[in-house]
Amino acid sequence: MDLAIKDVQRHLGRFLATIAGVSLLVAIVLIMNGIYEGNIMDGVWLIDHTGADLWVVERHRGGPFNEQSRVPENAYHSVAAVPGVVRASPFIAYTVERMVGGKSQQFTIIGYDVFGGLGGPGQLAAGRPIDQAHYEMVADTKLGLRLGQQVHLGVHDYTVVGLARGAVDSGGNPLVYLSLPDAQEVLYQLDNEAILASRAAALQSLLRAGNTPAQAERLLPLLAAPTDTISAVLVRLAPGTNPTVVARHIRRWLYYNVYTTPQERQLMLKGRLRKMTAILGLFRSLLVLVSLVIIALLIYVLTIEKIRSIATLKLMGATQWVIVRLILEQSLLLTLSSFACAYILVHLTAGRFPRTLVFLPSETAITFAVMLVGGVIASGLAIWHALRTPPSVALGG
Amino acid sequence: MEALRVIGLRKVYGSSALAVTALAGIDLSVQPGELAALLGPSGSGKSTLLLCISLILEPSAGTISVNDQVIYDNAWTGLDVRRFRREHIGFIFQGHNLIPFLTARDNIALAMTLNGTGDRDARKRALELLEYLEIGARAEALPASLSGGEQQRVAIGRALANEPPLILADEPTASLDTDRGMKVIELLRRVARERKSAVIAVTHDERMIAGFDSIYRLKDGRLEKDPPR
Repeated sequence: MDLAIKDVQRHLGRFLATIAGVSLLVAIVLIMNGIYEGNIMDGVWLIDHTGADLWVVERHRGGPFNEQSRVPENAYHSVAAVPGVVRASPFIAYTVERMVGGKSQQFTIIGYDVFGGLGGPGQLAAGRPIDQAHYEMVADTKLGLRLGQQVHLGVHDYTVVGLARGAVDSGGNPLVYLSLPDAQEVLYQLDNEAILASRAAALQSLLRAGNTPAQAERLLPLLAAPTDTISAVLVRLAPGTNPTVVARHIRRWLYYNVYTTPQERQLMLKGRLRKMTAILGLFRSLLVLVSLVIIALLIYVLTIEKIRSIATLKLMGATQWVIVRLILEQSLLLTLSSFACAYILVHLTAGRFPRTLVFLPSETAITFAVMLVGGVIASGLAIWHALRTPPSVALGG
Repeated sequence: MEALRVIGLRKVYGSSALAVTALAGIDLSVQPGELAALLGPSGSGKSTLLLCISLILEPSAGTISVNDQVIYDNAWTGLDVRRFRREHIGFIFQGHNLIPFLTARDNIALAMTLNGTGDRDARKRALELLEYLEIGARAEALPASLSGGEQQRVAIGRALANEPPLILADEPTASLDTDRGMKVIELLRRVARERKSAVIAVTHDERMIAGFDSIYRLKDGRLEKDPPR
């Protein structure tokens, strides 16, 4: 006779309500797992999808994602001439907050050489890649744009010609791909008031330096901020080429910093993502702990409610195992049912989350094992109390 | 063969100056089929005697035998206490103490399964016992939906489940009115006669003693037997 099941059947409503509560907690743990892994996946998505072997960035900088990097646009010609390099492409990336689709949205603009350069969107969910030098864009579906829609950025309207899925930056923001000149224009475009103020300040500096007004006017264009910079040069190497050798060559002769793609990944994971993943990891551990404490308390309360029945069982000569099994089975039933409900709930709702959720089978298995072992340990307090209860408790009024 | 024999049973709580003598040399003999009442005021040692006979509380000295098997002789004799209790002693409690999440039938079957009977056999025999106790129709009812008298019948059925030679009843009529209480005593008497089990019932209700074969009174740790009526 399975006493645990009989007890559950008798208090089915209460048991289901308990499972619902615990499964919500476990669901949060699973979602945290998903966010944790999703955060890592989002963080390196761009790096993994550019198709580059090397990243050439400004000297002494950890760019282009962890730190701002400015490289002259024409630097890619010099990089292309390095032995072992089969392709070098200009690449620019920056995050903006603009009105898109009727609401203010944060996204990252990627500018790349649309005529065969590296760093493009790759496989699209709909539409086609950019094939015009200007005024076309490919956007991630997260922005809620549709093919053919016009988006106003800076001073121009851009037509959505393609839609990418899952194209995000390290913060989970959707990506917008533009041709390099368009991306530079959106980035460096100043409004008229700002241009006038900048010119006036530069003019004053030249006059204070002893130039005549005529000389200052002539020199003024030379002081204008450069608008032909890029974030990095993406490099593809010939098969069999040693990336370390090429990187050393570029560092030594062209005075740039060079990272291989694995190094760029590590830079991202150990730099920008480290704190976020550490916080998520901490929250995850705390939630597991809280869930187990709640399960322990629930099992304890369920056992205390049955303490007279347990004493009666002891008086009737029940072995310790009968008592242990009653408590342990209920604990496992609660833990396993809660986990199963949480698993189903999370997988049904994962698509509605604003952040990318990635559920690795290994992570889920570890969480399951932790909950299972934790559930057994959590029932320890109740088992200890039950085993200490003397049979004489059953006697008397 | 005696169902229960107690010789010179003593139980002292505490030691030296603080020692309290709960049982001061009890002699008791109950035959199979005998219905014995154990009366006494609160604090007279009734519960202590019951706990000692139930193998829950270790006496300080004396001898206890059940079915001629010595279980205590100034020390436990080393038998498996739980197993002995399952096989030789049935309990009936003041508050019935039925397992609330088991049906009447399962409450009785549980006692048998704990003693190694298979589920199917146990449930079959439990139904037979319920019919014997005239509550077969309530077999699938949970304790909460049974009346006090019905619950006590189920409790009696549970005590009888493993056909023990000794049944200990702790205030079996305390939670019942006089009529129902009398019916329970009659039932215990029938059980004792027909099943050849010795039944010792602790009570302080003088109205119930008419139905008992023998009456023992405990006072200040000493036992006296009423003369036969």
